[in-house]
Amino acid sequence: MFLNHFEYFAPKTPAETLELVSHLGSKAKILAGGTDLLIVMKSKAISPEYLIDINGVEEFKGILCEPGKGAVIGTNTKLAEIQYSEELKAKYPALAYAAGEVGSSQVRHMASLGGNSCNASPAAETPTPLAALGAKVTLESLSGTRELALEDFILGVRKLDLAEGEMLTKFTLPEPAAKSACRYAYMGRRDAMEIDSVNMAVNIELEPDGETIKSLKLVMGSVYPRPLVSKEVPALLTGQKLSAELVEKAAEAAQGEAKPIDDIRASAEYRREIVKVLAQRLLNDTYQAAKGV
Amino acid sequence: MKTLIELDINGRVHEVAVDARDLLIDVIRKKAGLTGTKKGCGEGDCGACTVLIDGKPELSCIKLAIACQGKKITTIEGLVQEGGTLHPIQQAFVDKGAVQCGFCTPGMVMSAKGLLDRIPHPSEHEIKHEMSGNICRCTGYKKIIEAVQAAADVWSEQGVE
Repeated sequence: MFLNHFEYFAPKTPAETLELVSHLGSKAKILAGGTDLLIVMKSKAISPEYLIDINGVEEFKGILCEPGKGAVIGTNTKLAEIQYSEELKAKYPALAYAAGEVGSSQVRHMASLGGNSCNASPAAETPTPLAALGAKVTLESLSGTRELALEDFILGVRKLDLAEGEMLTKFTLPEPAAKSACRYAYMGRRDAMEIDSVNMAVNIELEPDGETIKSLKLVMGSVYPRPLVSKEVPALLTGQKLSAELVEKAAEAAQGEAKPIDDIRASAEYRREIVKVLAQRLLNDTYQAAKGV
Repeated sequence: MKTLIELDINGRVHEVAVDARDLLIDVIRKKAGLTGTKKGCGEGDCGACTVLIDGKPELSCIKLAIACQGKKITTIEGLVQEGGTLHPIQQAFVDKGAVQCGFCTPGMVMSAKGLLDRIPHPSEHEIKHEMSGNICRCTGYKKIIEAVQAAADVWSEQGVE
């Protein structure tokens, strides 16, 4: 297995990178971790003429997570850094946990948070909690900068709302509300080196009474061409106090919204069942966590 | 088109001519002549090609050699101790019978090194979780876990690098 020929660029600054991205356009691919890119290049599924290696650009790396100020995570921050970050583990445990469940230790030391979203695989781990947490992506080009909610950035299988000459540079996460919690769970055929059959994240914010649900976001992965943000579950649960009956109803609603397919990892039927199981589990766990129990 | 680059492998600088598409595993094995690192699946799944790059375990079969300039690469050969004795992790693998056919062993040892450098006393769960990217097709995992635990004990006694 060898790679087709390509020309290699290693810019040192964001400006140089954007210049290259703009100049080389769709003939180029950005190389961050390469754990997805080099695999598809080896299989000749794609053969870019140019690779832009962004690992020399310090501005694209790092986690800025200060008390009360949310977090900003550079696009080329490695998943292992997110997994190990004490600040992120404390403030966004769902994200740190999801990052720590991607691939293997080696993959997590190579792969980047930006790559996990830009690869636009429906089975990706981190877009699910990122969307649940309300993460925004910053897209930069020579002509300017725009911000999008993550769930609006990923359009479908290998499809992004990314114009030619634009690149994802960072993620911005809002500060979690008081009396809120976000949790992530997944199911796969086994634990190690496995791609999820279904993954899910739930973010719940409670009213000051500490019991009534003020807002809720439930996001499903691997059951739709893009991260699927439930509309029905928040409609059922907002303004309510969670009960076993409501959990059951909400989990069935999530099941109805999921549109899984049969593939090598699981059947659609199995995935639908698991959506219900994970939704029940996560709604209960997240609600308890938000209550501070 | 070949480019002349310098790669720091095990503290020695190797000047090698590479094509942009050359993979680190091939350069380590064929140009630096260090054949301890193994090429298994070639797609980042099996962990046999694991080397440390700036101390972190990475997969040399999906890493471009040209992207490793200015970084410190450590392969299994780089673990050798003064006087040519085995590194405590290697010794633990021998002592615990954690080597069967041996093909996965260099990758296993490098992953264990990466793990123990970060967590000197890993729990069994941490060992399994952080080394799940190294596959042993002889399936001798129990002995491997024991070896990593034994190495961790020696590690704390000697403070070995």
